[in-house]
Amino acid sequence: MSSSASATPTAPTALIADDEPLLRDSLQRSLGLLWPELRVVASARNGREAVEMFEIHRPDIAFLDVHMPGLNGMEAARQIARQAQVVFVTAFEDYALQAFERGAIDYLVKPVDEVRLADTVGRLKERLAERSRQPRGPAGQAALEAVIDELARRMARPATGSTAAGSALASDAGPLQWIRASVGSTLKLIPVDEILFLRSDEKYTLVVTAEGEALIRTPIRELIERLDPQRFVQVHRSVVVNLHAISHVTRGPNETADLHLKARPEVLPVSRSYLHLFRQM
Amino acid sequence: MSTPVLPVSPPEPPHPAWHGFVSYLTPQRVLLALALATVFALALQPIFITPFPVLLGRTMFVGMLALLAFSAAGQWPRRLPRWWARWLFQVVVVAAAVPVATLAVYMVAVGGDFSSFVESESRMLGFLWIAGSGLVVGPLLAMGALYRQRDAEARNQALSFELERSELERQALDARLRLLQAQVEPHFLFNTLANVRALVETGSPQAAPVLRSLIAYLRAAMPRLQGDSTILSDEVALVRAYLELMHLRMPDRLDYVVDLPPELGGLRFPPMALLTLVENAVRHGIDPSEEGGRIDVSGALHEGQVRLWVSDTGVGMTQSMGSGTGLRNLRERLTLFYGAGASLALTENRPHGLCAEVCFTPQ
Repeated sequence: MSSSASATPTAPTALIADDEPLLRDSLQRSLGLLWPELRVVASARNGREAVEMFEIHRPDIAFLDVHMPGLNGMEAARQIARQAQVVFVTAFEDYALQAFERGAIDYLVKPVDEVRLADTVGRLKERLAERSRQPRGPAGQAALEAVIDELARRMARPATGSTAAGSALASDAGPLQWIRASVGSTLKLIPVDEILFLRSDEKYTLVVTAEGEALIRTPIRELIERLDPQRFVQVHRSVVVNLHAISHVTRGPNETADLHLKARPEVLPVSRSYLHLFRQM
Repeated sequence: MSTPVLPVSPPEPPHPAWHGFVSYLTPQRVLLALALATVFALALQPIFITPFPVLLGRTMFVGMLALLAFSAAGQWPRRLPRWWARWLFQVVVVAAAVPVATLAVYMVAVGGDFSSFVESESRMLGFLWIAGSGLVVGPLLAMGALYRQRDAEARNQALSFELERSELERQALDARLRLLQAQVEPHFLFNTLANVRALVETGSPQAAPVLRSLIAYLRAAMPRLQGDSTILSDEVALVRAYLELMHLRMPDRLDYVVDLPPELGGLRFPPMALLTLVENAVRHGIDPSEEGGRIDVSGALHEGQVRLWVSDTGVGMTQSMGSGTGLRNLRERLTLFYGAGASLALTENRPHGLCAEVCFTPQ
């Protein structure tokens, strides 16, 4: 390819990205035996480094570990795939293998089998030769993107350290799953499922679990918007209760009711406007 | 858990006595009282000169008042002397209410003139008839009602005991199933084997100790049906083996220190509980971080309470932590193992990272 600025234009180049150093070295050694002409020009410890090194070295091939910290292999591939042959490397991940098979994407399974690696090397050589005659068509690119999309969805990709300190709400989107509450000098993390009820207490909101209580600053009306409505309901201007925590309901005078809890002695008021939630079926 | 920063006012206590009083007055009881009053009015009518509606009014009034007295005596006073059984008190109150109510009816009939009531033989006779029949029937009915009520309560209690027992059994079963499912993850196993192979290929002297760690880990982590408990020193050995393997895989990203007081080593401990916390610290704290971090596993015995903690300097709270199901399962296991006093809490470290702490009273 004319764009390759390498001194020996015929020598193919490669990048290896894996967060585990022994595996990077091992793959490089195996490639050295099977494909002596291949020059490994860069090895990266994570997806971000892989993209950076790719920009610098512009290798023909990128071996990307699917599971890496920060930017993972899928995300790195999105940025690289247009300009290089990508081979995914993964440990036993059923869903990943299925996606690769279906999309006819090249992949290696760790520990990498020599015979399998030889196949991949053969295919890569063919493709590189083909590509020097005609660049990769848009159809191939779309297929790769589709596989990456599917994988990204299946992997439930971990967010990269977006900890908004100070906020009691631990994640930014979707239904709330954890609540941060300061108890004394420590910050406690409370899974939302464990909350029995919330009660507003002037400027604060009291979070009550079977094990104890904690105060947070987030007002109850902000919390209720982020909680699963199938599970948490407002029963009073100042009270939100976890439906699973209720043991029974007793009717009171004047169209009100009292909620009794399974794990706590508190009795919670239900005001008239929320009483319809507890009418008998 | 420590006390909250602000005191919290307890909820207004409801009025259980009033609730109890009203709940005594079931429609069935009211209807029964009225029906019996009607039967008595009909039975007494031949010997009375009073018109039937007036007589019916009198018997109904007596019946309703006896019922109200019965309900009230069931709630008030809140406390009785120890030798006074509640049921006996209720029966006596009903017995007292009948003549009082009858007397009240007749006083109204004579316009409050007691002497004219005493002098009128027919009124005295009427009073004696109504009060007498009421006295015979009222306490009997009260005893019948009390007997039925006790029967219902006993059945209710038996039912709730049954429910509670089956709930506990279900929890124990669930915990056991989850332990079985908590097998060695294929992803972990194959990645580790790939590393071992790399060591073997290069003839590294590290290969043998790493294999030893892997074997120790696999032996402990393979699903076991029997054996619901290990001792803490076994669990710590398992944690060490796991951390050694992870350190081999990410030498530049994982540091760790496992340092437990030796006197805790012999304590009974639910298998895999500490390992679960350490695995979480690696998976959710260190692994997602480009820089990695450090894991500290430690413990202390203080005034009979054991605290064990796994603290990391990883990425801390992220969406990848899921909804805390694993934590809840572990807490359930600890509760089943050590009783309700056991606890598991998650706190945030500064500047980043998490600390999971287990607290229990050893058996």
